[in-house]
Formats: sequence, structure tokens, C-alpha cells
Amino acid sequence: MATLTESIKNEVKEIVYSFFAEECEVDIAQINDNTSIIKDLDGDSLMFLELIEIFKKKYNLDIELKVIGKYAVKHPVATIGQLIDMQLLIIEHENRLLDLEH
Amino acid sequence: MSDNHLAFIFPAFASDYSNHPGQKIPGFAAHFQSMLQIAASQVDPSLAGFTFSGNTFLDDELRTQYLTYTYSCAASSLLRKSGIIPIMNAGYSMGIYATLFDAGSVSFETGLELIRLAYRSLMKAIGSRSFGMGSLIGLSGRDIHHLIDQADLQIEITNQNAAHSFVVSGYHHDIMKLMELAKVEGALHTRDLQVSIPYHSSYLKEGAMHFAREISHLEVKHPGNQIISLIDQTFLTNPEIIRQELINNLFYALNWFRTKQVMLERHVSVFVECGPSKGLVKNSKFVDGDFLFYALGSLPLNPGEVIPNNDNQGAVRS
Repeated sequence: MATLTESIKNEVKEIVYSFFAEECEVDIAQINDNTSIIKDLDGDSLMFLELIEIFKKKYNLDIELKVIGKYAVKHPVATIGQLIDMQLLIIEHENRLLDLEH
Repeated sequence: MSDNHLAFIFPAFASDYSNHPGQKIPGFAAHFQSMLQIAASQVDPSLAGFTFSGNTFLDDELRTQYLTYTYSCAASSLLRKSGIIPIMNAGYSMGIYATLFDAGSVSFETGLELIRLAYRSLMKAIGSRSFGMGSLIGLSGRDIHHLIDQADLQIEITNQNAAHSFVVSGYHHDIMKLMELAKVEGALHTRDLQVSIPYHSSYLKEGAMHFAREISHLEVKHPGNQIISLIDQTFLTNPEIIRQELINNLFYALNWFRTKQVMLERHVSVFVECGPSKGLVKNSKFVDGDFLFYALGSLPLNPGEVIPNNDNQGAVRS
């Protein structure tokens, strides 16, 4: 279980913004926390999966994709801000993400 | 380019033509139109009415196959005319026909006929049964097999796109049931592929045997470059093997994930998706290796410009 420092929070936000700017070919200045991933950026589930893989490698996370999937069913992500929050929870709780439900 | 080992990859079906990448290739529109006229006169006159932004036929499986094939053939032949020559080809699913055209094994017209005969043979074999295909992201193959077995579903895993990305084929009702079960199990994404033929599954064996008889008179030549099989990752080196692959491709499971790995082991360093969308480019990110994967529109058309480095705009580096 990792401790989320301000540095990690800023880093995650920067990675997510840069990722969507590049993937969706939009100016990073046009992205904010309220940007809709699907409506505004035409994002898709493969991008979500790719981001998870990026963070798994970067922070050496021990988490199964299906744990994230089960969590995402109950906490669907629509905006960039919500996605960042979920990534932070994944980094913080890894495979114990579902314990947050109890 | 001479230092790079280039492969052309041919997709199965277009799902969208908005911002199709071929429009960035000089001469593509005219070349595509001329090939479209051939297709219209040979297999279906209504194809002449196709437009990228209006009459797309995306709700018609057979016409979409003809159009994707025509698009892919037009694109790859233009690339070759520009001096961009692959050392290897791979056809994703029904992309096998464009692969064979590009490698010089079949004529454009023969490719159209193969598509027509395959579709007719398979539709005849499945009759009134309601089949379908689906895709699942986020579960392992073992998880999916477990769900299929547990619910006694008539479904087969028919392609692996990445470690946690699979395609399944089977009875449509069971496909929908599997999608529901997979979400509960933790799949990040599920999708009904909205096709009526369960490609690459054993349900099509009878149809494939009919297809085998139907194509016996068609000419198949030695390929001009290597073609890799998505079924077993061997190379299709002569007409007899190619003919058998055409038949097996209908009812044997594929493994695109493993195929990409083998291509990398064979030193392919640059991939080009020769089709109207970027689905395979996006998917390429889930294979480790030092390679570039281009959509048509992002490929530098001067052969000397295709240099694997991190500055290539629009290319995907793994």
C-alpha cells in the first residue's frame, strides 16, 4: 500500500494529461479535469487499459485487471479528473482496491 | 527503409471511415475509385454508390468485406508504387485476402471471388442459426474459459489480441450472456461485434469444406514476400499451403498476439496497417518490443524517411 505524496499526485496528473493529448491528438491546454473522455476526446477502453499498464510498470503495482474492472463497474469513470482519482486509488491500494467497498 | 524490416498488416473489417487514413496518400482517391469500379462490376453493382461520409454500407457484412478489401488493396499497391515494399505480410482475420493480393498470390478479382465464395459457403452452412462474435478486454483466457464452462455456453475463444484482450465466437445468445458474466467478473470492456458469422470457430467447419470445393478452380501463385499465418505462425510459402490456409482461416482460432511476437522475433521493426482505420495500430501497444506501427496516414511516403526513432509523428512505438 503506497503513500500518495504530492509529487506522485502531480506526476499522475501530468502523465494522464499528456497521454490523452498525444493519443487523441488534441492540444494539452484543451484538457482539464472536467473533460469527458468519450464525448470530448473520443477515448476508448484500450486507452484506459494502456494507462493502467503504464502505471503498473511505473509504480511496480501488484494489481489484477479484473480487480480494476470490478471496481469500475460500481464507480464508472467519465472525466479526466475521475480517471486520475481512480488511478491514484489503484496506486494506493493495488489489489486491495475492492476493500474500499466494505 | 532498406535498414528497416517492414511488414504490411491487413485488417478484417472497417468499422468507421471518418478521417480514413488513405486520404492523406497522394492519388489514393482516384486509385480506390478505379478499383471500386472493378469490384462493383464483378461482385456487386451497388458498391459503386459507396461514399466515405454517406453511403458506407457499414451495416452490411459482405459489402463491408468487399470495401475493406478494396481499400486495403488500393492502399498497399500505392505504397508499393512509392517504393515502400514489405518483407512480410499478415492478414488479420478476413484481411487474409488483401494480404494475398499484396503478395502477388491472387489477382484483385480472385480476391473478390474468394470473399464472395467464403461468405456464401458460410451463410449456407449456418442456415437459420443465430451466431455472433464478441470482444472482451481485461480478463485472462483462463477466466474466459472458466466463464464459458461454468455457464455451459456454446462459445469458443477465436483470437487473442493481447494478454488480456480476446475475441470469441459462437451462438449469439450465449455471446450476450458471456458479455454480462464477464462484466461481473471484472472485464474492463465487452462488445458485441454485430456480425452474423462466428468466424474462426469450429461451427464453420462444414462451411469451410464447402468453400474448399468452391475455390479449387481459382488460381493461387507463389507469394512475392513472406506471409505469416495467424493460426500457427508458420509461413505460407507455396500455393498449396496458401489454399489450405484460406480454408483453415475460416474455422481455426487465430492468435494475433503471438503472431506479432513472432514477427518481431523475425526482425520486423516497422508495421503499417493497410486499411481504413487504426484498430491494429492501437492494439499494437500491448506487445513489448522495439518497433514502430504506422497507420496509413502517418507513414512517410518517401521510403528513406521511415526511420525507427522516437520522433516519428503519428507512429506508435511500443
